[in-house]
Amino acid sequence: MVFRTFDLLMRTKFNVLLICLLVTLCFACKQQSGRLIPVNDFFKSQERVAFAISPDGKNLSYLKLINKKQELFIESLESGKATQITKLDDHVIGYYSWVSDNELIYYKESQDKNKQSSVYIIDKTGGNERQLNENEKSRLRVLKDQLIDNKYLLVSSNKRDSTVFDVYRLNVRDGKMEMAVKNPGNITDWITDTKGQLRLAISSDGVNEKLLYRENESQPFTAIQTNSFTTTIKPISFSETNPNVIYAISNMNRDKNALVELDCKTGKETKVLFANDTLNVVDAQYSRSKKRMGFVICETWKKEKFYLDDTVKAFYNKLDKLLPGTEYRIFDRDKDENLFIVRTFTDKNPGSYYLYFANKGQIKKLSDFNSSLKEQDLAEMKPISFTSRDGLKINGYLTLPLNKSPKDLPVVVLPHNGPGSRNTWGYNPEVQLLANRGYAVFQINYRGSSGYGKAFMTAGYKQWGGKINNDINDGVKWLISQKIADPKRVAIYGTGLGGYIALNSIFSSPGMYACAASNSGVINLFSYLKSIPPYLKSNLQMYYTIVGNPVTDVEYMRQVSPVFHSEKFNVPVFVAQSTNDPRINSGEVVQFVKELKKRKVNITYLEKGNETSPVGNEQSRQQMYLALEQFLDINLKKK
Amino acid sequence: MTADKNSGYRKNFSLIITFLILISVFFVLSLFLAYNFSKKFIENEFVSEKVNVLEASITPYNEFFQNKLPEVSYYNGYLDSATTSRFVDTLLLQYPFVSRVVFYDTEVSTIPVRDGLNIGHFTMGPKYVYQFGSLVPMDSVKLFAKNDPSTAMRGDEFNTLGIKLINYIENLDTARAPTADELFSNFSVVRSNKITYLNIPRFEDLKVYKQMMQRKLSTSPVYQQDMLTFYLDPSKIKIINANPKLYQNIRIEPLTYDPLDTSSQFVTTEITLPGPFSDYKLYFISAQSFVDKAIFRYFLPIAIVLMVFYGVLVLVGFLIYRNLNINQKLYKLQYDFVNNLTHEFKTPVSVIKIAGNNIRSAAALTEREQKMYGRILDEEADKLNGLMNKLLAFTQIENKAIQLNQEKVNIVDFIESTIESHQLKHPDFHFTYEVSGFKNFTTDPVLLGSLFDNLAENAYKYSSPDQKYLHVSARHIKGKIVFRFTDKGIGIPAPEINNIFKKFYRVQNQYNQNGSVGLGLAFCKELITLMKGEISVKSKVNKGTEFKIILPYNE
Repeated sequence: MVFRTFDLLMRTKFNVLLICLLVTLCFACKQQSGRLIPVNDFFKSQERVAFAISPDGKNLSYLKLINKKQELFIESLESGKATQITKLDDHVIGYYSWVSDNELIYYKESQDKNKQSSVYIIDKTGGNERQLNENEKSRLRVLKDQLIDNKYLLVSSNKRDSTVFDVYRLNVRDGKMEMAVKNPGNITDWITDTKGQLRLAISSDGVNEKLLYRENESQPFTAIQTNSFTTTIKPISFSETNPNVIYAISNMNRDKNALVELDCKTGKETKVLFANDTLNVVDAQYSRSKKRMGFVICETWKKEKFYLDDTVKAFYNKLDKLLPGTEYRIFDRDKDENLFIVRTFTDKNPGSYYLYFANKGQIKKLSDFNSSLKEQDLAEMKPISFTSRDGLKINGYLTLPLNKSPKDLPVVVLPHNGPGSRNTWGYNPEVQLLANRGYAVFQINYRGSSGYGKAFMTAGYKQWGGKINNDINDGVKWLISQKIADPKRVAIYGTGLGGYIALNSIFSSPGMYACAASNSGVINLFSYLKSIPPYLKSNLQMYYTIVGNPVTDVEYMRQVSPVFHSEKFNVPVFVAQSTNDPRINSGEVVQFVKELKKRKVNITYLEKGNETSPVGNEQSRQQMYLALEQFLDINLKKK
Repeated sequence: MTADKNSGYRKNFSLIITFLILISVFFVLSLFLAYNFSKKFIENEFVSEKVNVLEASITPYNEFFQNKLPEVSYYNGYLDSATTSRFVDTLLLQYPFVSRVVFYDTEVSTIPVRDGLNIGHFTMGPKYVYQFGSLVPMDSVKLFAKNDPSTAMRGDEFNTLGIKLINYIENLDTARAPTADELFSNFSVVRSNKITYLNIPRFEDLKVYKQMMQRKLSTSPVYQQDMLTFYLDPSKIKIINANPKLYQNIRIEPLTYDPLDTSSQFVTTEITLPGPFSDYKLYFISAQSFVDKAIFRYFLPIAIVLMVFYGVLVLVGFLIYRNLNINQKLYKLQYDFVNNLTHEFKTPVSVIKIAGNNIRSAAALTEREQKMYGRILDEEADKLNGLMNKLLAFTQIENKAIQLNQEKVNIVDFIESTIESHQLKHPDFHFTYEVSGFKNFTTDPVLLGSLFDNLAENAYKYSSPDQKYLHVSARHIKGKIVFRFTDKGIGIPAPEINNIFKKFYRVQNQYNQNGSVGLGLAFCKELITLMKGEISVKSKVNKGTEFKIILPYNE
């Protein structure tokens, strides 16, 4: 259940990311002549995002950019008439959802660094807006976006103790919260059954996760499964026919994720619905109308569906025909499963939103994600693989610049940001920007990346600056042996832990890279671990396992943390950070940069503006990428 | 120099001497001032340069303080004894003034501690205390362990910084993130010969610390802190004598060090060391003779510059004097020339006047008388005319106003006609010639004639009456025509030989008392220059003179 906790950790970050992707100014900026696409065009998003459909299928909702703020709009499907129902001051909408045919809830987040979020409920007409959480300091999450008895909403909140989330039944009519389950202190996630009953919970003491189950809400939870956090059991849904059975994605006793049926009474796997030694299940779809699992999604170099139900298969085959060559996901549907919000994308296209009418077999485009990009200007993202020095098969992607023969190219290696994630196939603005500027972009799913099984994942533990870097270096050597990379012009650039890998490579593999760039990069593993907020205490042990235990592995962590090795840096370095970034100790980075400057290392230091403000964000993003572009131009391309 | 006074030309030697004396006085004065200045300067330098020595010597300490201390924070409280030991080892190597390090592996929690500080629910106490250093025996590395009651903590440094930290946290403004400088100064204590440093926790942690002081928290968090006390030995500071020519000896002495026996033969100064070394000072001492050497080293280049300046002034004075001298000589020459010229003109004019008077006063002229006066008038007029022509021609040549006529000249005919005209004038003139290698050449016959006339005239004039002899030889040698005019005259004294081609110059002797302007040879030289030739002279007094003329040969 490891990634649920990651999810939690990443959620705030993801929201910020989502906002910075979505909230952009739409200048009437035409594509420049020539092939060079302006930086901002890569990151532009449509002005209408986050489409959803009301359960009765009568109304469409979306966020639309009004005066640089994303306001919530409701559009009637019959009349086509759209009404703005929110009016934001200095907050942004982090998330919203329909809870009934007539009501929606949404999270408002303040833009200061506290990022306090409050939850509101509002009628589809825009009236009757009420704040649901009373305490500004606590956090509140909606567990199930459906009203129970037409008035209760199941939420979790840490208002009792900032370190634990209890489950509350929130009366949306009067705002009263009554505690549904008190968290004994280590439950990190709650799951409801199809009727909104809280019958499943996941507890974690950091290393071990427990699946807790009760037959009904009056009974206490009992543990049915205990796993180390390397094991995933991700409940998908309760079975409608058998109340004690859940469908879950599990890699218990196997390397790759499979879809299984779990009997909660015994805690045993009763049936394997889909399993394959080479395929890793990343998602599964439960069809409420068919009352059975519809399909699983496995991810190799791209996501593929494997159908468990013929009618579902027929349904998607129709969609496949309507949306050829794209990867798509159904974002929302009405209760009758007639109307669907579909979001498509490819590697060369950020994609579009469609409304699919299942009964008519028709599709209607709602909006393009980024209309300023043209597919013929973007580069193809090809899957590659190579064998590491210790015989592990490592996968990755290579994006070659257009109109250039794939020989002796300057290469930017792009390590992804850390554990529990991987590079995926699809539109990536950073990759496309670099490819458009003439660089081959090399992404490697180094060991420790998710999606390649348990063994591959655990192989990366405590290998930061060790085997992880070896994998990346082996990849570069492979690329050089393919004559694609110019061995003298290889740069490495990453964000977060990717930035950490980039900086680490400079002193651990001298001579390999011409220059390195880090965006909000981690330069000290001690500080990185220290940055885990106190209420995520239960995650510390997990991080200790993945990154390193600062109590017992002091020397290892010192060895691999760039901050201790400023005297070994000799090639040009680019460091960008925001002083507000909670994940890094900016003072430490400044001290590090100062020491490099003292040593007369060619260093470009960029302090980005306020991370949380969307306007500032666009400016700072443009500033950051322009600086990076310039840095690479001087230190890589022209070398 | 009586003649000078007569001519009104002034040459004031006393002025020159006054000038020389004055600049010499200035020279000596400036040398004296320069020496005094050098002395003052070096004395000042002795006092002010100590700052540079201090700066250079203290640089490793500053580096240690600014770069190495913050490194403790990089560990975020996770330092253990092994890592600290390694950390200290590199420190000891790099910074010899660090003698010993005491490491307090500290925990901040809510559980009261026996050894340490308890404020509200905030407690801070060491789990272990270690000491590291090159002279620390293995069995006394571990000084204290929380769970070992046999060890006791003596932690002055721990308490000092702990109390400082507590004060800071109590007054912490949780609304505003503290600056790096503020944190650094509040997480370190600098005392005599030791520095204590506590790793700086994150702002979030500081806020929790503050809460812990104010109330009981529901959770009982435990935070790791590392406190390190660095014991420093000022005597191990490597003194870098940035100015070894000024300071003979620099040492580190206690602040109170002030020896009585420092005699006047020594110069001393001192400066207090900064930070934890403030009980000590750098003590600079140099022997007076050593300082004097430094003064001299500083003075020497100034003295050289002054001397060069003085030398240039004297040289300029001398040159001015020389120019004046030359001008005076030139002036004398011109004066003589005017004298001679007047004289030269006077004779024919007076002869003409006498002849005129005689003709006018005579009642009748006999035919013989008439012829005689006619001849006299004609001759004297010719003389005047010749003089004037000579003067005019010379001016013209000097101003390059003459155009060369190129005509073919038969050399034998040319010399014979010259000899004929001279022997007509002076029947006692023995004029011989020889020609070899050519018959004709192209030149300006008039100029060549003037040249021959002048040289022949001179040969005749400067010869004793029984030695009027001139031999001209003309040869064609390697594309040049070489004429030699050899006479048996009185010769030219060696000191004069360089002057004879100068304008208005005349060798003083009995032969040129009248009828000579001093233009002849200067005129010849100008002519030859115009004809693109050369003239040179060889002479022996009382033996004769030979002029050699080389002209380009044109067919």
